[in-house]
Amino acid sequence: MLTYIARRLLLMLPTLLGITVVVFVVMAAAPGGISALSLVEGQNLEPQAQKAMEDYYNRLYGLDQPAPVQFGRWLNNISPVGFAQNADGGLTGWPHFKVPDLGISFRYGRPVLDLIGERLPITLLLNVLSIPLIYVIAIAVGVRAATQRGQAFDTQAGVVLLGLWSVPTMLAGVLMIGFLASDQFWQWFPTGGLSRRAALDMPFLPQAEIAWVLPVLLVFAFVFAAGFMAFAAKASAALRLGAGVLLGAVGGYAVIQDLDALTSMLALGVGGAVGALLGGVLGRSEWLSLRLLMFGGAGILAGLAAAGWVLPGGITPGFLLDRLWHLILPVICLSYGGLAFLAKLSRSAVLENLTSDYARTARAKGVSEGDVLWQHVFRNSLLPLITVSATLLPSLLAGSVIVEAIFSIDGMGRLAVEAVQTRDRELVLSITLISGLLTLVGYLLADLAYAIVDPRVSYD
Amino acid sequence: MTERVSSPSFSRRILSEVLLRWGARLGIAWIGVLTLIAVFAPLLANTHPLLVQDAEGWSSPMLRFLGPADATLFGAFGLGVLLLLLPGRPFWRFLGWLAGLAILAAVSFALVSPPSLVVYEQYREAEAQGAYQQVIRAPIPYSAKDYLRDYADTGLEAPHGSGDERRHWFGTDENGADVLSRMIHATRIALSIGFIATGIALMIGVILGGLMGYFSGIVDMLGMRLVEIFEAIPTLFLLLTFVAFFGRSLYLMMLIIGLTSWSGYARYVRAEFLRLRQQDFVQGAIASGLSLPSILFRHMLPNGMAPILVAASFGVASAILAEATLSFLGLGLVDDPSWGQMLNQAVQSSTFNWWLAAFPGGAIFLTVFAYNLIGEALRDAVDPHAQSGKPAVAAKAAG
Repeated sequence: MLTYIARRLLLMLPTLLGITVVVFVVMAAAPGGISALSLVEGQNLEPQAQKAMEDYYNRLYGLDQPAPVQFGRWLNNISPVGFAQNADGGLTGWPHFKVPDLGISFRYGRPVLDLIGERLPITLLLNVLSIPLIYVIAIAVGVRAATQRGQAFDTQAGVVLLGLWSVPTMLAGVLMIGFLASDQFWQWFPTGGLSRRAALDMPFLPQAEIAWVLPVLLVFAFVFAAGFMAFAAKASAALRLGAGVLLGAVGGYAVIQDLDALTSMLALGVGGAVGALLGGVLGRSEWLSLRLLMFGGAGILAGLAAAGWVLPGGITPGFLLDRLWHLILPVICLSYGGLAFLAKLSRSAVLENLTSDYARTARAKGVSEGDVLWQHVFRNSLLPLITVSATLLPSLLAGSVIVEAIFSIDGMGRLAVEAVQTRDRELVLSITLISGLLTLVGYLLADLAYAIVDPRVSYD
Repeated sequence: MTERVSSPSFSRRILSEVLLRWGARLGIAWIGVLTLIAVFAPLLANTHPLLVQDAEGWSSPMLRFLGPADATLFGAFGLGVLLLLLPGRPFWRFLGWLAGLAILAAVSFALVSPPSLVVYEQYREAEAQGAYQQVIRAPIPYSAKDYLRDYADTGLEAPHGSGDERRHWFGTDENGADVLSRMIHATRIALSIGFIATGIALMIGVILGGLMGYFSGIVDMLGMRLVEIFEAIPTLFLLLTFVAFFGRSLYLMMLIIGLTSWSGYARYVRAEFLRLRQQDFVQGAIASGLSLPSILFRHMLPNGMAPILVAASFGVASAILAEATLSFLGLGLVDDPSWGQMLNQAVQSSTFNWWLAAFPGGAIFLTVFAYNLIGEALRDAVDPHAQSGKPAVAAKAAG
């Protein structure tokens, strides 16, 4: 195993080299390219000062040298062993051991490593939150679609998922911001950024002026949610239908009432009716998890509303809640596309295993259908989901370029867009290198996880 | 003889199976409608009146201002309809259409030269002064780049219909141009970028993948490293770099989207060819001394084409998404209409202009959805047991 990992790590080197060569060639071959002149152009300096700046940049980055030499110098800078560099830019002394240096960003004038160190955690945070969300929902939908193959749920889910997958991320983001965050419609979420300025001074966790308020609040939410969920699980279909219609109507009415522009009786009525219809459909649904989710969510909201009515106020939300509040829309935006793809994959994986010989054997032995599904079939269906997790990461990284641009989050995606727009050579190359490295490590981890989950796979 | 009989029957079977699915029918219908809109855009949305009767008699400013691209499209459409009605093998008819297209383009770019100065206001002024006895206008009487300079303050108006002097069904954008008109003219960009970019990617992918699969060994090893390199760079980032450094032009954008998305096709073709190269008919072709291009493209490719077509129809969707994304990020075409660029204006100013999000965004969604529906149907028809989700990743990565 260790030799396999070592070999894979070594194989990464040529690939990474190739990636940076591709991007460097693009930059060097571009009309205008990158020169010291293009860096100082817009600064309106006197000719002498401009000349001095150009000389300085040329010495610092070697911009007056031919492109292959420039690339060689960059490679020399990022490798832990190479030539030493003397004051006027010449190379001497081999071998020279040093700390890899990603260089200094043209535009920011700061070390690239610092910039990436600031931005990368934000993008990773978005992705780390999205991936489990995608997997949980996708597996739930996929397993259900597979067990009901060819029935209404399967075909409906297929069309809806394909539709979701076709929604451009920009469209979803713009609509979410427009309707859920702007002050023209519902102002439920922040329009952008990762936290309010005020929240930076708040304590990490929520706090109340009177200490017992918070636990009581939690108890309220918990009790209501538990009650609603028990109802959703146990009650008869007719009762659930009634409760769903009632909850939906109240919810729809409240949502419309929250809108300043629309307060006519007609709009409120339509809101209530749509809510009632939706609530009715969800309440009558045969899918237990969906009902639990819906009624549980409604229960938490009802609990909080009741608590707000009974308890005194004076609660500061705290840094954590504020951060989560800002993350909800971006994470939804980032997740829904991958969701569709993964749900389809898990459906086909479960389907394949449901008809396999070992599942039939288990059924013949008298194992219950639920146990066949979750104990036997499901665990084997996880294999393709694990392999695909590697390909999910690059597409999420690409998705965060758009999401970060829409929600003005200062992450890697935004840094990448800025870097290419300002022709910041060091930054572009470093971002390429790091995102390529992340992708390749993702592939490697997926292959390793595959070997761990499936004992038949061995790399020795 | 057997080859001739079996090859069309396979494609016909696939076609009929695809057409059985209502999703694919809807998708094809939508693409058809879009194609019609794209071809006849100057007739649908134009400030130049279609026909005008003034003191000098009848004239058509619309015809006078048609560009070479419009003429080529009209001609290509006519030729396509004609060739569809003619008998013959589809492949040869398609080749004939391509040849006709090339000739048409050459002729019209050489001969058609509309006046370079366009004053959109003149018609409205002339009509207001009563210079025209009769005017027949296009259904949407605004061109894509008609910024309505003769009216004051027309930017970012919400849709308003009848009862007004001006009628903007889908509102106006920030420059004051009619959104519906711009959307109609942007159909051309969306459709052409999808087809041409995917065509370029397919060509590179098929050639490289074919060589890799056919030769295997060291060629395969090196080729796969190249594929890996292009897969490890996020496609969108590579696209951004290309566009930011090479400037903005439609043709360049097509080329770039093609150049950055071939790796998936190469993988498919390689896998197919690795499977095919051991089969008897290929061995037979090699043994009878056929040339390499003949073996690769005449004998092996038609047998491995089906899964590639599936990937290609998802690829068209992702190319359209890629263009929309670039335009949305402000790296698209400058003055020409594009759905993504209009979507970008929806939240650019501090207010939310819902009509700029709903209509152009909806158009992107419907078009991408249509191609994905067609791709799904194709995949099911080609291989009912195929459950691979690979093309899905490739398509999403760009968008």
